[in-house]
This record gives sequence, C-alpha cells and structure tokens, in this order.
Amino acid sequence: MEIQLKLYGSSKILSDKDTLNIQLPENSNIEKLRNILTKIISEKYSKSNLENLPKTAAFFSEKDEVVDDSYKLRNQEFISIIPPIGGG
Amino acid sequence: MSLHTALIKIEEEKISSEKAKKFISSEKNGAESIFIGKVRNENSGKKVIAVTYDAHDQAVIKSFQSICKNAKNKFDKNAKIFLEHAKGYAPVGEISILIAVGSGHRDEAFKICRYILEEVKHQSPIWKKEHYADGKEEWLPGHSLRPKKEI
Repeated sequence: MEIQLKLYGSSKILSDKDTLNIQLPENSNIEKLRNILTKIISEKYSKSNLENLPKTAAFFSEKDEVVDDSYKLRNQEFISIIPPIGGG
Repeated sequence: MSLHTALIKIEEEKISSEKAKKFISSEKNGAESIFIGKVRNENSGKKVIAVTYDAHDQAVIKSFQSICKNAKNKFDKNAKIFLEHAKGYAPVGEISILIAVGSGHRDEAFKICRYILEEVKHQSPIWKKEHYADGKEEWLPGHSLRPKKEI
C-alpha cells in the first residue's frame, strides 16, 4: 500500500514537492510509518539533522487531528507530518 | 463580532496594528493590550536576515479559534481579541505575530495577551526557518505535539 505524506517544517527537506509518497506493507499503522521514515532518513538524509524527526513528529489524519501510533493507515490515505512546532 | 484570527501571507499583505486597534476598539474597554512579535536580526550569535514561517493552515486557524475562546472563558467573556500570524518569507523587522485584546480591565487584557502567545507557541502548527547572513538556513527546534504517553 501507499500513503501520501504532506510535509511541513523541517520535513520539507525530504522532498522538493509538498508531499512524499511512501510505500508500506498492508495494514501498517503510524508506528510502522515512523520506522520507515527512520530508515529513509538514515539512508538518504543522514547529514540533514533529521534523525530525531520520526520520534518527535506527530501525525495528523485527514481530519487535521493528531493520531496515535496504533492508528491503522489506509491505501492512498493523506497524512500530515507535524514536526515539533514553534511559531510566534 | 468579538474575535478575529488569521494567517497572513506576508509577501502579499502586512500585519497591521492599526487594523488590530480598530477591531478591538470599544467604549466598554477600560484597557487595550497589544503584543507585537517581530523578526529580529540575531539568534544564538548568528546574524539573521529573515525567517520563513510554514503553517498547517486549517489546523492553525482551528487552534487560534480554540485558544482565543478558552482565553475569553478563562479571563473575560466580553473581551475583544485580534490574532494574526505571518506565513511565508519575513525579513528582519517584519511583524510575525500580533495579538490585540480589548477588555474591561488591565489585568484581564494583559493575561489574555500572554495566555494566547504561550498557547500559540505550544499548540499551533507553525514552523520557523531562519535565514542567515552567511547564506545558511535552519529549521528551528520546537515543541512536540506527539501524544505524551508515546514519548
């Protein structure tokens, strides 16, 4: 299955586009997505200071609400990655 | 109308203190408190030339509304509140956030202003990338929204 990850803040380093398509095994959840992101970052972006991102980011569902690690992802679901925030 | 919240695309429009003052103005106000946050030219010894603000627009507006309503319930139900935050590339000196509060008394006006600022920093999905004079740039660390039980 595949999901579309909408990128915000520091996660924008992961792509030139606003979204990143990520391949996942069937029935994956947010925890699995964190693991896949850790792998992508260690393989391709090890020098970009993103190593803590999979651990510190929250994820929003299409309803713009934080979902926890057990949240089951659907094929083609649109998920937002929310790195630690700091406006003002 | 007693509440105004917005994200402002700063390359297209400016955040205006005059607009804020006009919005909160009322003969019922005994106090008007205005906080203006600006892009400054230095951070941790590095010369800053600008900041890019990124935001999850829908979630930011939702959080702004919720924060302001909570502030009114907590301190003054009749307060008038104006809250705008910048989005996009903001050079040094640009207003990044403006909070204006009109209330019956000074204590409530100050408290609401401070409450909103701190809650925005901890709840609203906004991110800052600093641009430095040497050409480098960096996303700043922040506050994690990941559920606390998981960390």
